[in-house]
Formats: sequence, C-alpha cells, structure tokens
Amino acid sequence: MSQERTGPLGQPVPASGPTAKPAPSPEGRHDDAARLGEGAEPDVWEVFRQEKDGDPMRHAGNVRAPDRELATHYARELYARRQESVRLWVVSRGDIIDLSDPDLLQPPLDRTFKKPGGYVMRDKLDAARKRAAEAGEGDGGGAPE
Amino acid sequence: MTAIPERRSTRQLAQPDLPSFDIGDLDPPTREALSSLVLTMADDEFVLGFWDSEWTGIAPMLEEDVAFSSLAQDEIGHARLLYEMIAQLHGGKADDLAFGRTADEYRHCRLLDHPRRDWAFSVARRWLYDTADAVRLTALRRSTFAPLAQIVEKIRREETYHLMHMDVWMRRLAAGGEPRERLEEALTSLWPDALSVFATVPEETRLIDEGILAAPMSELAGRQHERLLTTLASLGLSVPGPRPSSDDGRDRAEASESFRWLWSEFTMVHRLEEGATW
Repeated sequence: MSQERTGPLGQPVPASGPTAKPAPSPEGRHDDAARLGEGAEPDVWEVFRQEKDGDPMRHAGNVRAPDRELATHYARELYARRQESVRLWVVSRGDIIDLSDPDLLQPPLDRTFKKPGGYVMRDKLDAARKRAAEAGEGDGGGAPE
Repeated sequence: MTAIPERRSTRQLAQPDLPSFDIGDLDPPTREALSSLVLTMADDEFVLGFWDSEWTGIAPMLEEDVAFSSLAQDEIGHARLLYEMIAQLHGGKADDLAFGRTADEYRHCRLLDHPRRDWAFSVARRWLYDTADAVRLTALRRSTFAPLAQIVEKIRREETYHLMHMDVWMRRLAAGGEPRERLEEALTSLWPDALSVFATVPEETRLIDEGILAAPMSELAGRQHERLLTTLASLGLSVPGPRPSSDDGRDRAEASESFRWLWSEFTMVHRLEEGATW
C-alpha cells in the first residue's frame, strides 16, 4: 500500500479518516494496553443492529476491540445483552468506504434543477385518487390514504 | 371521535425460568441430597458473580468492562434460579438463602475462595471455573429430576458464550510477553484448587442411584483434568503441577478472611433492613 492513502475515487484521504487509530483508552483503567497481549491497540468496529425480523439494519454505534473475535463479543454485550437485537453486523471501520469529498457530494454548481420542487403534484394526485376510488367502488376498494 | 387507546405495556412479562414443580415425587432423603447439590452450584455461581463484578469500572478496556460485568450478572442470574429451586424444595425464600446466611454457611468451592488479583488471575480463575462447570452441567442435563434438567439446559446455553469469551482471553494472554508471564503465575497459584468444583457432595451415591447426577464427582474431576491438560498443551502452556485433589474444600469450619470481606459487601444492603421488600 502506498504511503498516501486514497479514497475509492482516488481522492486523498486525510490522516483523520475512517481508518485512523482511535485515541488511547482513557486513563484510570486497571491495566495498560501492553498487558493485554498482541494487537492490544484496539481498532474501531462499527455495529449495525436489527431490532426485529424484517426491520432494516440500522447503525447502532461502535466498539473498540483488538481483533474480530473480541469485536463480536463486545458488539453482543453492548448492543444485544438486553435482548434488543435479533441480528448484528460488525464491520471493521477500516473496511468502510468513506465518501465525504464535497466535490463529489456537494458540488458548487447550482443543482436545484435536479430537485422536484416547483412541479406541483397535489392536484394531479387528488384527481388520480378520485378516479381510483370511482373505479374501485362496488368491490370494496377505497381511496388510499 | 376516536377513543384514546388504552396504554399497554410494551414489554411482555417474561416466562418464569423455573417451572413450579411437585416435590411429592421425591422422598425426603433424596430431596435433602438434591438441595445440597444445588446449593453448592448456586453458591459457586453467586460467589464468582460477586468476585468478578469487582472489575466493573476498572477492567482493561471499557468494552471488556461491560462484557465482564455482564458475565458476572449472568452468574448471579443462574444463582437466583438455583436458590429458587432450593426454596421450592424446602419452603422459604431465595433471598434468604442468598443474603440471609452467615459467611461460614456458604458452600462455594476452594477455587472461588481467593480475593481478586490482576486481570490474568480473574481470566485464569474464570476459565478454570467455567470449564469445570460445563462438565458438571453436562452430568446434570439428563437428570431424572426434570426441573433441574430444564434449567441446566438454559444455563448451558448461556455458558457457551462464557466459554467462548474466556477462550479468547486465554489465547490472548498465552500468546507471549508479560501477559503470558502473568497468566502462568495465576495458573500456578490456582492449580491446587483447579478441580475443587468437584468436591464430593453429601449423599452422592443416592443422587446417582436416583439418576439425578450422571456420574460421581470424582469421575467428573478426572474428565475435567484430562480436558485441562489438552487445552494447556494446545496453548503451549506447561502443566502447573501434579493432579490437584478434589476431595474436600466446601465444608469450611470458618470462612476465609477474603470471603468474609466479600460477604460483608454483598449483604450490606440486605442487612440494612432485614425483611425489607421492594
């Protein structure tokens, strides 16, 4: 890997980007990292959770952990120990494609012509609903809410 | 006008984990032997839960802090179930068993009669305990006393995760450097008590004859010893000493000084106002 990191579209990624190491653990912990074993400097893992079957996976938060295994354990303890999740996704923050370049997401030129504003839908929608209601009469169908 | 919908609790009441059971099937001596056995298990879980809860707030990392505290809470939960079972066998209340005894009356094994030291010590102890407990639970899962078999099955499912968690830590610490030295030191100091979970319980033969317990404790100790040797070898750790004894240890004339201190901590609230409910 080259010294200068680049994003998915070749743009340079600042050192404080998504794969940057987190700040060292707060003072006052009983043991220092050196006593925890190999790879003790923990990485950040993003956790997504599904609350019940059929729900989308939503970002829950993150955990620090020195490896995949402990990341799994900590995700379980922090986001599912009270039975609040039926599924978790645990993703190393380093594996996330980060896209925040303003040239890609917030270009300087006027983009208002790409928005649907100014095109009034309300009357057309009302008319369509009325037609649908008339067509549906007799077979129990009603206008949608 | 729409009526205001009645407010409903979002949380359903959990099913009780311990089914109510009929003690009429058990003759008094069997009932006695059974509750002695269950008391040793309950005290083990309870005491380990409190020792390990001491890491809350000071574990090596915040995440491990939450995880280890959650494991400790699980053990207290298992103890609660087992105390409730004794209370049903004898009448009385689980709370009185948990908090209403003197320090001398607890029957936890020798392994759990040491004060907390460093992180490697707590990892080593929990690993020795959890793996021994797994052997004991396996010997009870087909118990003819159905309520015991049922809760043992639930506890086993939760302990699976505990075993995984301790396995990760054992491998981490055994990998080398200072962590390995500390782990070896802890294992050496705990080794004489490594099989103390399997101290003989009163009327053990009766429990085996009735099909409540699958095998004698001494046999379970042998099984656990084999397993420990295999795991130590796979971790590249030397065996810390000769085969430990499992003969005695639960019947102490007097509680140790360290346990007396722990007892004074976990009974503090109970002793403030005896019989208080909330």
